[in-house]
Amino acid sequence: MTAPGDIKALARATADRLSKVRRLNALLTPMTELRQSLARQAAAAHPSGVLYGMPVAVKDNICTLDFTTTCGSRILEGYRAAFEATVVGRLKAAGALIAGKTNCDEFAMGSSTEHSCYGRTLHPFDRTRVPGGSSGGSAALVAAGAVPVALGSDTGGSVRQPASLCGVVGIKPTYGRVSRYGLVAFGSSLDQVGVLGRSVHDAARVLSVISGRDLRDATCEDRDPLRLPTVPEDLKGFVIGVPKEYFPPELDPGVRRACERAVRIMRDLGAAVREVSLPHTSYAVPAYYIIAPAEASANLARYDGVRFGPRFEHAPDVRALYRATRGDGFGAEVRRRVLIGTYVLSAGYYDAYYRRAQQVRALIAQDFRNVFDRGVDLLFTPTTPAPAFKAGEKLADPVQMYLNDIFTVTANLAGLPAMSVPIGRVNGLPVGGQLIGQAFVEDDMIEAAYALERAVPALEEAER
Amino acid sequence: MSVSREDVERIARLAELRVEEDAIGPLAEQLSRILEYVARLSELPASETARPFVAGPDAIRLRPDEVRPWPLAIPPAKLAPAFREGFFTVPRLGQFEDAGSLAEEA
Repeated sequence: MTAPGDIKALARATADRLSKVRRLNALLTPMTELRQSLARQAAAAHPSGVLYGMPVAVKDNICTLDFTTTCGSRILEGYRAAFEATVVGRLKAAGALIAGKTNCDEFAMGSSTEHSCYGRTLHPFDRTRVPGGSSGGSAALVAAGAVPVALGSDTGGSVRQPASLCGVVGIKPTYGRVSRYGLVAFGSSLDQVGVLGRSVHDAARVLSVISGRDLRDATCEDRDPLRLPTVPEDLKGFVIGVPKEYFPPELDPGVRRACERAVRIMRDLGAAVREVSLPHTSYAVPAYYIIAPAEASANLARYDGVRFGPRFEHAPDVRALYRATRGDGFGAEVRRRVLIGTYVLSAGYYDAYYRRAQQVRALIAQDFRNVFDRGVDLLFTPTTPAPAFKAGEKLADPVQMYLNDIFTVTANLAGLPAMSVPIGRVNGLPVGGQLIGQAFVEDDMIEAAYALERAVPALEEAER
Repeated sequence: MSVSREDVERIARLAELRVEEDAIGPLAEQLSRILEYVARLSELPASETARPFVAGPDAIRLRPDEVRPWPLAIPPAKLAPAFREGFFTVPRLGQFEDAGSLAEEA
């Protein structure tokens, strides 16, 4: 517990730690601005808050009053929001210190944090590799020990995938658990604010603070904030399903071994483990890469050089102004997705692509309902098919990059809570296991994560 | 599924996005690759259906119908060069070329 007198020193220490990891390019906020802001926030923080003194870095697609919100895009360069996100307001009200804005793929579109106009973020343990994405800046800062917790956003795995690649905990709550007010929209039926933490407890505590009803977001459910579960002695009574479709032959052997060990741990702790089937899993990535770009093409229509950010050219008329600003302001991946989204929504293609993708989304959600209706409490899968990949390795082929999301997009399509928890290392690189829960039953998922968090390091050590 | 240069130009126009001439060819290739991949959905028999899935609450919850101003960090008067009696003032149509008149009117 932070004492009121300590908070100024704590704010300075946070700035010092963040300054030491500047080479990761994970933080977008200039250090001088950050130091001044942290000092102001420390003076204003209320000592009775449950997060009093906890530094929380925030992904740069979540609106803050203290710092600019650029989404890693030239089109929002220098943009200062006129309001702050509900999640940020709740963190501040709980006494947390907003420790700057983190680098991300432009508008959260990417799986490597290489698609930011501010340059790529480096993996904290191997600088030739990517930290994952799109919340790669948040994951790198937590993994490097610069902050205990950071906020991210998860549209197709953007919290869980970087958490897995960097060896930290990443939680995507149920769609509707956390307000999206002030989260810059990408795919509105998929987006959720999530939390990355160095421990299950830190991440869950912050999730509890930011969750709950919000009149400013009509898609946020009318529910109380998440109640934190206690750390369980064992997993007796839990039925954990292991979907066979998430263990394809091409899965990295090291990831497979780590998952098998995690399953053994859960079984030893008393959980009943069953193989289950989610038969439409292989269609999830194609469905996602129709629905998400379609929603993105509509959401990003507002960036036209008139309402937000800079204008890039003196254009002869207003349409030329829109086109020039958007053409110059959006990076390569955002342009691709806006074009794909426009294409699949256009006359003549809507039924074949968008309507079909929505039907497949319904089948994927039905797969999960079928499994949970048969008594399964939680599902366990790998978070990613392999550990962190080399920078530049997947940039030339967008489909190869998209396939990194193969195990994470399903939870977004079905609106379910899911989290990544570290389950070991392969050649020194972290590997995460994913727990997928039933809608609004995050506490079961967090309990199982607590158990894994406690047991994995000891077993890993014993097997060495 | 192959996307032509003309397709790229057409959807770029629809998306209000300027695409440089030398970027059209590579974009056509990349979009073709992506669309070929997502077209896998057509392998699924059309007879396979499930009840439509909509993320979020079953019914949109309406707020009480009352005016509740939410404060902005930056007041409206500071968001635009000219603000008077609750309105942003702008030049009359046809006067865009005369930027100097804005300040005088305000």
